[in-house]
Amino acid sequence: MIATRRRFRFDPYVQFMKKSMAREATYRFNIFTSLGSFAVRVYLLRTVWVALYAHNAAPRGLSLGAIVTYSTVALLLGLVLDIDQTRALHDRLHDGSIATDFMKPINVPLFFFADGTGEVLFHALLMVPALAIALLFVHITVPPAGVLAAFALSFLLGYFVGFFLNFILNLTAFWTLEISAIQLITTWLTDFLGGQIVPLVLFPVALQGAVYALPFAAMFSTPLLIYIGVIPPARYLESMAVQAAWVIVLAAISTVMWRAGSRRIVVQGG
Amino acid sequence: MLGAYGQYWRINVLTTLEYRENFILWSLFTFVYHGSAIAALWIILNNFPSMNGWTFRDMAFLYGLWMLAHALHNTLFSNVEGIPERIREGDFDRVLIRPLDALFGVIATPGQFFPDELIMALVYFAAATWYSGIHVGLGFVTIVPLIVAGGALIDLALNLIVATLAFWFVRVDELRWLVLQLEQEFTRYPISIYSRGVSFVLTFVLPFAFMNYFPAAYFLHKGDLALGLPREAGLFAPLIGLVFVVAAYAFWRFGLDRYQGVGH
Repeated sequence: MIATRRRFRFDPYVQFMKKSMAREATYRFNIFTSLGSFAVRVYLLRTVWVALYAHNAAPRGLSLGAIVTYSTVALLLGLVLDIDQTRALHDRLHDGSIATDFMKPINVPLFFFADGTGEVLFHALLMVPALAIALLFVHITVPPAGVLAAFALSFLLGYFVGFFLNFILNLTAFWTLEISAIQLITTWLTDFLGGQIVPLVLFPVALQGAVYALPFAAMFSTPLLIYIGVIPPARYLESMAVQAAWVIVLAAISTVMWRAGSRRIVVQGG
Repeated sequence: MLGAYGQYWRINVLTTLEYRENFILWSLFTFVYHGSAIAALWIILNNFPSMNGWTFRDMAFLYGLWMLAHALHNTLFSNVEGIPERIREGDFDRVLIRPLDALFGVIATPGQFFPDELIMALVYFAAATWYSGIHVGLGFVTIVPLIVAGGALIDLALNLIVATLAFWFVRVDELRWLVLQLEQEFTRYPISIYSRGVSFVLTFVLPFAFMNYFPAAYFLHKGDLALGLPREAGLFAPLIGLVFVVAAYAFWRFGLDRYQGVGH
């Protein structure tokens, strides 16, 4: 490389992030429908669990209140965790504009991270009106501050698991350009095997070992079970260590794929 | 028209064979989509023996009836969902200058279609019917195809209404997505668990309840139906599908007559 190494500057990435937040805010109708669909889902989860608890005993010590809280918080997390945040990578590979990105004086993966973070932060803001809507339908239990702090930390780890999983999926576009089916399959598996739809503690005992070992559980299930107290403080360290291990493994896979993929682009000449 | 329709399916099959990997991945998605929904029901009803008197065996059949009607709709009419985008892109005007009916022109636009979902739905429905212990007699075999056709027409009518809105509003894709979400999530459980207002909407406004709940309640001899309707209500599914599709088609013609292009 001929260009001399410049001192790393942080502010361009802050600008990328702000730009992508502003871009998200322009899709007003999308915001309206995603809040509408959120309201419908909260109504649905309340009705379904109430109907199930009406004539049956609480299974595995989970009260109706705990499961409604779990499902509502799961939907709120989904607003952030289900975003296809590094979609820009796939789009740019598809239309070829990735070639010009490599010419810019920026760190390209960091650009995608900043762009995705802007979108995520905007959707994180949506959690506020969504929570207000949810409280119209359901009562959510709020745990003590210590538990809440552990939940926040675990959610952050889960967010990075989700980020790298999404990045890996979009990275496969270096080799195969049609990835929408793979992406949908992953989203569905994440929601189901991550315990967003049904808490993993309700899964048959024989299957639990397998589902807890998958990265999807590190995204949704761990922070949620910390929130409702099924994971006690004594097991925080162990649970979050598993999440951190997934972050490291998936980050390593992304790095290897990024290096191999970007070399391919240079060989093909864009 | 029949000849053109035959050609349409010939091209579909050839296209599918051309993009084999892609076809396999999309079929896998369809499998995961329905598989995870059924698995979630199974897990829930493993922990709770029943929901408003419906066991997992009943709900497996409830899902099967919806899956079959929905898959039939997807196989024959999924092009209707693409109308808003075609109007936006200006590509819709092409079907208007052809000698055949515009809606037929839309429905018979070749793509990568294959009845894989319908085949999965048939297999699952047969298994779920056997599992639910319903007596399969001549009556069942005659009524089920009519009910499934009615269900597919209900799906088509709602899709066509949303698509017709695209003549006036440019972006209706999100609305279509919302309606589909309502359909797939609300049809999963017996309608009787919802409040009166919601049950009313699902029965008479967006009549998803006739795609599976009322007919399933008839076959499974359930009492205490939503809104206090009689058990035979489910037998009206074909009629309701027909009425809704005629109304939706009239609305479509109304929109089409006023359509002046989006100005390309």
